[in-house]
Amino acid sequence: MKSLKTLVIAAVLSLGTTGAVQAQTPATAPADAPAAAATATPAPTATDAAATTAAPATDTAAVPAGDASYVPMKPTPGVGQPVDAGWNFQPQASVLGHQAYGLSHHILLPVISFICLLVLGLLLWAIFRYRAAANPVPSKTTHNTLIEVIWTGVPVLILAVIAVPSIRLLAAQYEPPKKDALTIKVTGYQWYWGYAYPDQGIGEYVSKILTEEQAKAAGEPYHLAVDNRMVVPVGKQVKLIITGADVIHSFAVPALWTKMDAVPGRANETTFTVDKPGVYYGQCSELCGVDHGYMPIAVEALPMDKWKAWVRSKGGNPDPQPAAAAAAAPAPAGPIPATSTTAPAQTPATAPGATPAASPATTN
Amino acid sequence: MTSETTRRKNSRTGIIAGLAAAAMVGLGFAAVPLYNLFCKVTGFNGTTQRYDPVAAAAEPKVLSDTVSVRFDSNVSPKLPWKFYPEHPRDTVSIGARDMAIFIARNESSQPVTGTATFNVTPLQAGKYFTKIQCFCFTQQTLQPGEQVRMPVLFFVDPKIKDDVDARDIQEITLSYTFYPVDEGKKAS
Amino acid sequence: MTDIAATAPVHGHADHAHDEHDHKPGFFVRWFMSTNHKDIGTLYLMFAIVAGIVGGVMSGMMRLELAEPGIQYLHGWAQFFDPAAGDTQAKHFWNVLITAHGLIMIFFMVMPAMIGGFGNWFVPLMIGAPDMAFPRMNNVSYWLTTVAFVLLVGSMFVPGGSGLGAGTGWTLYAPLSTSGSVGPAVDMVIFSVHLAGASSILGAINFITTIFNMRAPGMTLHKMPLFVWSILVTAFLLLLALPVLAAAITMLLTDRNFGTTFYDATGGGDPVLYQHLFWFFGHPEVYIMILPGFGIVSQVISTFSRKPVFGYLGMAYAMVAIGVVGFIVWAHHMFTVGMSVNLKMYFTAATMVIAVPTGIKIFSWIATMWGGSLRFTTPMVWALGFIFMFTVGGVTGVVLANGGVDTNLHDTYYVVAHFHYVLSLGAVFSLFAGFYYWFPKMSGRMYSEVLGQLHFWIFFIGVNILFFPQHFLGQQGMPRRYPDYAEAFTYWHHISSIGYAIMAVGMFFFFLNLVYAFVAGKKAADNPWGEGATTLEWTLSSPPPFHQFNELPRIA
Repeated sequence: MKSLKTLVIAAVLSLGTTGAVQAQTPATAPADAPAAAATATPAPTATDAAATTAAPATDTAAVPAGDASYVPMKPTPGVGQPVDAGWNFQPQASVLGHQAYGLSHHILLPVISFICLLVLGLLLWAIFRYRAAANPVPSKTTHNTLIEVIWTGVPVLILAVIAVPSIRLLAAQYEPPKKDALTIKVTGYQWYWGYAYPDQGIGEYVSKILTEEQAKAAGEPYHLAVDNRMVVPVGKQVKLIITGADVIHSFAVPALWTKMDAVPGRANETTFTVDKPGVYYGQCSELCGVDHGYMPIAVEALPMDKWKAWVRSKGGNPDPQPAAAAAAAPAPAGPIPATSTTAPAQTPATAPGATPAASPATTN
Repeated sequence: MTSETTRRKNSRTGIIAGLAAAAMVGLGFAAVPLYNLFCKVTGFNGTTQRYDPVAAAAEPKVLSDTVSVRFDSNVSPKLPWKFYPEHPRDTVSIGARDMAIFIARNESSQPVTGTATFNVTPLQAGKYFTKIQCFCFTQQTLQPGEQVRMPVLFFVDPKIKDDVDARDIQEITLSYTFYPVDEGKKAS
Repeated sequence: MTDIAATAPVHGHADHAHDEHDHKPGFFVRWFMSTNHKDIGTLYLMFAIVAGIVGGVMSGMMRLELAEPGIQYLHGWAQFFDPAAGDTQAKHFWNVLITAHGLIMIFFMVMPAMIGGFGNWFVPLMIGAPDMAFPRMNNVSYWLTTVAFVLLVGSMFVPGGSGLGAGTGWTLYAPLSTSGSVGPAVDMVIFSVHLAGASSILGAINFITTIFNMRAPGMTLHKMPLFVWSILVTAFLLLLALPVLAAAITMLLTDRNFGTTFYDATGGGDPVLYQHLFWFFGHPEVYIMILPGFGIVSQVISTFSRKPVFGYLGMAYAMVAIGVVGFIVWAHHMFTVGMSVNLKMYFTAATMVIAVPTGIKIFSWIATMWGGSLRFTTPMVWALGFIFMFTVGGVTGVVLANGGVDTNLHDTYYVVAHFHYVLSLGAVFSLFAGFYYWFPKMSGRMYSEVLGQLHFWIFFIGVNILFFPQHFLGQQGMPRRYPDYAEAFTYWHHISSIGYAIMAVGMFFFFLNLVYAFVAGKKAADNPWGEGATTLEWTLSSPPPFHQFNELPRIA
């Protein structure tokens, strides 16, 4: 048991930091880590994931060992999470989020409020003016072509006015992502998320909800805090390739105006560009079974240099060669022996990247 | 009470309405092949196209424009395989044929049969992503520890440059998911 | 037009209350083998009230659980069904609650009350027909609904995967409802929806035939009361939409039990196809629930304004337009499933179009009141409440129609608030308007005006406190179908739950009023509403004779 625990910590540390260790502040980490690793619910699975990836990961992790300076960011109250008694959208932190918020808050909200007040006003006036006591003899009017044309035509105009920015927003949301966008593979599982960075060589790692105690200890909101966040650089376009492993899930981050279903058997794609550093929380948004309410999402946006440090701490390479190089590189001739566990040097992390897709779930 | 003529009229209207309902049930079932056909024809949902050498009048023209193609792999949690592309990414000239290799390995101690589904993103690229040869939906049995290299031969149709919604696409992702073949289930 | 029936009173019509034809069958034959449209309507209404209590208690349980963060009650409730229930079963029970609440309120409360209850009671009366076209089929419809309800409630007692009951959501999305839920519960729910659907299709055939063939001489389509128009359009929606659902869930059933892979990517199927089929039914279903409400509100507003409906033809064809457009907007329920930009733009635009005919209806109701002589009886205040609440629910629908905005709001409490404003405050308000409006006609007794007003005001305040804060929760990012939530959501959740309690007090006055009416209610006159009530049912006695219009009325 003790040796297992040591193995756990060794595996976790060899990857930089994962799991319960991340939830701790650096000062308390050495003291609390063993206990936390033993009590944390996600620990067994995380361990297996770590164990399967540990072997190939260690040799790359060894290189930037001195650079593993990533410390999980503390969330800022009121940013990327709901606020007490809040009524409006969360403050947006992405380029498209600002545009979408502008449409809903500065166009749609005034229009719908006006329509509601207009209807309410007309109703109240009619109630007051045409009450039986004030108007004992009803009129016989049942038609007025002009007014009927107006109340058909004016809504059409209003809708046309709304449609223009709405269609423009859709076009912006669907603008094809740039070739150099950071690609992250997102997989929804019952009931946690898996993230992988194929170009950086970061194989899939699992992101699970923190328990109430862990979240409190980390100074994060329970129900939203996770052990391993998705970490992205600020100002760079991020492209998510999203799929589901078992049933349909939905990857959603309100502060980034992002939501995309994770459908098993097919990939979906969505993009966002975060414009402020911070921790942005989200939650699964498609009913996926018992723990649907307990598979939150946390996206941490860091300045580029800090993000690179995070990538190195995960054993990845923050500056991969462009795709053209990969194509130009000669493909290894002949089939790779079936027993081989190491992939060609060109893509050291691809193989581990693909494996945990199966392993964390099978152990669950 | 209801007269004889009304009763006859009622039966007629009732039967017509009943037939309409029955037709809608039929339409509901017909939606399955229609949906598949629709996806194939329009590339809806990122359904890729199949290259038909007979129907294709000529080889597609190769453009100087390139597009990046990303290869994505998924394995069902129920399938004890490793499955990954040899290269995660490739840059191809639009119109030019390219080959990608996916590698699958049976990690279990039993022979296992798997089959793959696939799509491309962005979804509007499906119409232009044409496969000449691939391993989609073919059943693949791997012996314990056996590893296979599976080629996908494809090209990106130059017509993509004529589509306002698709011509700005810089990277297409081809995503495969391998599932175990459940003996109880047969393809519908 | 509606008013003509009154300005030119029915000729050749006499009260048949003491007619020799008016013999009633014995109790068992009358209520269990009923072929009489009024008796079947009564059965449907009683059924809807029972189902409404069951569905309402479920929503109360949900609001109680959501009043505070954390899970307080689910364990105990799950243990009621299964003494060995643990944490998983408790959370599963939550999913069972949301599933059952949705299905019960839609298929066993709103639809039976609107179509089965008021439709059966008043379509034949309003068009001057002696009964429905196929009385025996009518009876079959009713009992199918009952069996369906028993199946649905029964499913809560059998295994459904992680616990007892089906926890798939009322939409039954594959693969959660196929490979994701082992056990007979989901099969029972699917079968229940099949039966409820079959019942509604039979009912739709019956209404279409009745309205087309059984109108009294002179009652042309363009003279039909708007309530009849609304039922006609609804019947067509049922006839065309429900069979598609039947096909969709049949394939769900074979995927579950017979190894097909219609919705299973493993065998080349597509789970998204299920969503397309489901919402091809699901969106018209929304109008199936609200259109009869439009009809009821039109009758009530006209009656208590003592004025014919303003823009009758516009009102009738606005409903037809809503029905038609309702069939081509379904994918706005699945904006985040991954669809191409063109498709999303189309569904955004098409969805917004529906606001136009809906707006015509809202403004026409106000115009009907304009210049009228308004009396604020209980049915009238419900109808007025309906107009405003439906407007609020309608405009949030316009917000959600924007595909780019829906990205954020999809599957949040904003959507929950939206559809409860159009259904719980829209459809239900119109149901109460209709119930109070026609109660004297159906029972021959007057309800208490004081209790009716109390019911309205408490209920009105309650549901607004209940549902308005849910817009805020949704904008803040609170997802749907969660038994538990981050602490920051507590404030509005708590207020929302208080709103439920207030609403429940309102419902107490409803039931009190029912008891009062049957125990001490005054005898109702043939037409208790005065000269504003111009449709044919008010020319009959209260309650109407067992068989009416043996001699068909003639409408000038």
